[in-house]
This record gives sequence, structure tokens and C-alpha cells, in this order.
Amino acid sequence: MANADTILIVGAGPAGLEAARTVAELGKKAILVEAKADLGGTPYASYATLTPDLKETEASMKHMLDAVQQNPAVDVRVNTRIVKSEGALGAFRVSLSQESKETVEEVGAIVVATGFQHFDPGRETQMYGYYEYDDVITLVDAEKMFKEGKVVRPSTQEPPEKVAFIQCVGSRDRQIGNKYCSKVCCGIASKQSIEIKRMLPNSKVFIFYIDMRMYGFWEDQIYWKAQEEYKVNYIRGIVTEIIKKGDKLLVKGEDTTMGRPMEVLMDLVILSVGMEPSKGTIEMSRIFQIPREEHGFLQVVGGPLDTVSTPVAGIFVAGAAAGPKDIEDSVSMGAAAAAKAVGVLNRSALHV
Amino acid sequence: MPSDRYTDVALEEKQRLFNEVKADARYESYLYGCYECGICVAACPSARFYDFSPRKITQTLAREDVELFYEQLNDDVWNCSQCFSCNRCPRQNSPGGLITIMREVAVKNGLRTTKEALAGYTRIIYKIMTTGTQVSPDMLQEDAFPDWGPQVKAVSENLDVWRRVLPPETLHTTGLSWQVEERTMHELYAIWKMTGCLDMIGELDEGLHDIMEEIMDDALEESGLVAE
Repeated sequence: MANADTILIVGAGPAGLEAARTVAELGKKAILVEAKADLGGTPYASYATLTPDLKETEASMKHMLDAVQQNPAVDVRVNTRIVKSEGALGAFRVSLSQESKETVEEVGAIVVATGFQHFDPGRETQMYGYYEYDDVITLVDAEKMFKEGKVVRPSTQEPPEKVAFIQCVGSRDRQIGNKYCSKVCCGIASKQSIEIKRMLPNSKVFIFYIDMRMYGFWEDQIYWKAQEEYKVNYIRGIVTEIIKKGDKLLVKGEDTTMGRPMEVLMDLVILSVGMEPSKGTIEMSRIFQIPREEHGFLQVVGGPLDTVSTPVAGIFVAGAAAGPKDIEDSVSMGAAAAAKAVGVLNRSALHV
Repeated sequence: MPSDRYTDVALEEKQRLFNEVKADARYESYLYGCYECGICVAACPSARFYDFSPRKITQTLAREDVELFYEQLNDDVWNCSQCFSCNRCPRQNSPGGLITIMREVAVKNGLRTTKEALAGYTRIIYKIMTTGTQVSPDMLQEDAFPDWGPQVKAVSENLDVWRRVLPPETLHTTGLSWQVEERTMHELYAIWKMTGCLDMIGELDEGLHDIMEEIMDDALEESGLVAE
């Protein structure tokens, strides 16, 4: 079998990078395909720091990028898209398009790590005025400011006195069609609230939530830390709508903690947008014929006991292409998918 | 939104009282953070009978919601029985401890609502501060405690005899819950004076304060204990 030793990895975020590194470490060759010009995926492109340790993303992830870029066993192709796939386990023929130049690669197994995209808060039932009010932004917009070392109201470029996060934007909402929790937004909002308080110690920061979901060590590393050390106000109750009042934003909701309706003026509102399957993930579902599970992400077959095998033999999934994941899950899945991909190639080589 | 009961009080005054609570040395170890688990309310005996929530008190302080704090300082803190069942908080907050601090600030500042809440306790304050014991046997009169049943009358008529039946000699008292050494009483007076507890009563009930101060000063002068 000609290329049984090569594994194609689609997407170079944390999951794809870890999959490529692991494939190389297990003695096989990897082709790592990335549609964008840069490696590192969504965290690298959009987040100044990582959750929960608040360390700078670029510095933290550098060793992952180096591990594939400086590795002769990893063939890195940026600005490259998958356009077609034929064949089956042990002998996939995949057409790649790089700046309108098409090539066909023969690979034994495939790891899809095409990740998620952030929910678009302008959609349907969202009454938060993201596209109307300059001072309503998303977690991603906030990270862009943090990269420049500042936090300001976009309308005035002045530092805000009162900042509100609204959780579960695009998540846990049957009306929108996303019944799932996006898993990381509680942690990211808490992380950002700490960063805002560090930059603006006199500001007041509120987080409006349904439930705070920060598992394991995130509990005391970011949730308790934000609340106890940085005096971030967690208010249980989701904002129904945002109305412009003078140059402020009137936030309306129910303070269920105190059992009363609530209207507060804010200078800056940050929407904690959730995860949806990325366009790339949907595209890979079509090209590789991987079924999507009921929430729209790529389906895995093993329930909680096999997080990376898809119903298609020889094709594995890693990271947020399979559903909302944090970075540690994505990296773990990347290594697991790589190990299983190498495993099926070893087995098919023995049968020959 | 807070009620409109205290709109006549300036925000600065509410903030001043809040700062006084926050400045207390115990505050930091009584308040960490709250995730609204409700265990304090579940454990709270007062919450079963009054519209009272130790969780809301803790949450209000954590949020530094000055308006709501002022409302609770006036309307809620005297509903607490200070049993500290709420101390089982998994975040290690002490809602009861926070209420202790709030009560002290309310008393020191002579809030009108505090005077009203404590008006019925004048006799008990007097008894505790001048004798070191709270309810004495001779307070158990038929007319004062009709709900205790007909035996109260019989007991109160021969109180001295009944008390002398009790084995410990220190309980052969009628005007005190138990016998208190004179020296202990004098030390107690010195403590009330030196810690400012007696002065706190001055803000609450000037008349009561003056009566107790006279008793304590006379006793201390006689005893030779210096209270300054």
C-alpha cells in the first residue's frame, strides 16, 4: 500500500497540531493542511491569553508550532483546502487546493480537526444590539483590545466604569437551535473579568449568567479568583435586552439571586458567544461523508469511551469539530486521534 | 432594584456605614464569595419563620450594593438568631458573622430602626451588662409568661424554696440566673467600658446607658479596678 504511512490532518489548531506532532513521534508521516495562512487555529488567532492560566497564547503555543514546522516528518501546507476525497481506509485519495493549484495526496488515515466558529450574536432572537451599538462587543472583540494592552469603550475610546458580560449567547437556547453548553465561555468571561480588573482596578465588572460552569480546577483558578480577589459580581439572571440610554447601555434582566427585576446602566457589554461547527467542519462532513450528530458537530461512535472515532473507517476527529471543547480536551483528542490513526495503519499493513 | 423606603437617606451616608462594616478586622475572613448554593438559608432557623435570607446578606456585601446593604441593615439583621448554623458554607463565608458586624455598626450609629428593634430588650441588656447573666428566675412571672402554663404561678410563689432544692449552691439565686462573684462582675464592667460596649448602648438608649454607667462606675471605684 503506497502511502499507508502518511496521515492527513485537516486543521492546524491545538487539536491538529498535537495530532501532527504525535503522528511524527509515533514514526509515521503527516500532512498538516490549514486553510488559513497561519498555524495555531482559533485560540492563536483570536485570544490574547489562554484560559485558565492567563498566559500569553503565542508564547504558550510556540512549542506546538515549532514541533510541526521544524519536523521533517510533518509536511505543513497552509492556505490549503480539501476539495475532494475518494477511496477508503488505507488508501484515501484526497484532492488539495493551494492557491488554485490542485494536488492529489494518497493517505492511509485522516484526522479532521477543523474546529468551531463563534456564534454570530446578530442572529434571530438576540436583542443585544451587537450590530447597532458600538459598545456591545464579543469575547473575541475584547481579546483584540487585550492584545493591544487596553480595554476601552469603542464609542469613546475611554476606559469603561461598568462592564457587563452576558453568558450563554448562542448556547443553551432552543429558539436559536443550539441546545448545548459551549463549555468554555464561563471560564473565558471570568478570565477576561480578571484581566479587566487588573487593567482598570476601579471599574465594576458584572457577569450575568444562567449557571456558572467551570469544571475541575477552573473553579478556584478562575471563578473563585475572579469573585474573591477581583470582586467581580456574578449575578444569576440573563439579560433580556439592551437599550441605548444617552451614551450608556441599559441592561434589563432579572436578578434571580435577589428575586427582583433589574435595570442597570453599563458602559461596555461583552457577549459570551458560544461555539458552532465551523464552515470547515461542515465542509469536511460533506467531503468525507462523516455524519453530523444532532447538534451539528461531527459524530463519534464510542460515546464517552471513544471520543475520536467517526463512523467512517480510517477517519478520526479531534477538538471542537466534534462539539464544544476546551483546549485541554482538544489537545488530548489530537493525541488520541493520532494514536488511533497510526494504530489502524499498523493493523492494515499487517493484513497486506 | 432596592425599595423606596430609604430614599430620604443620602447615598453618602449609606456608603459611610458600608465602609464602616467593611473596615472591621473580621470582615475579610467572614466574606469570600457566594455561588448561591443556599445551604445557609437551608440551615437557618430564622429563614423558616421570617422573610430573611443569610444568602442575600452575603451576596449584597460581596456585590458592594450599598443601597440594598442599607435596606438590610435596617430591616433584616435583627431577624438573625446568631446561631451560626450558616457557617457550614462551602466557601467558608460566615453570614452570621457579617450580620454581627452589621449589628454593631447599626447600634454604634444609633439607627432608628435598630432602636425600635431593640426597644423590647432593654431589661435583658440591663441584666446582662450589670450581672453577666441573662434571664433571672424572678423574671418568670405568671403574667409575663402565660404560655408557660399554670405551674409558673406555683413556682414563682415559692421561688426561693424551689431554687434552694437545686443541688449546685451557685443556683440558689432568684435575682440572678446563677451566683456571680463580685470580682467577676467588676471585671465585666471594666470590659464593657474599655471595649466601648457601654458607649454603644449610649447611642441606642441614653437613659439605660446612664443608669448602667453609674452602677459600673460606683462599683469600679469601690473595687479599685481602673477602667481607663
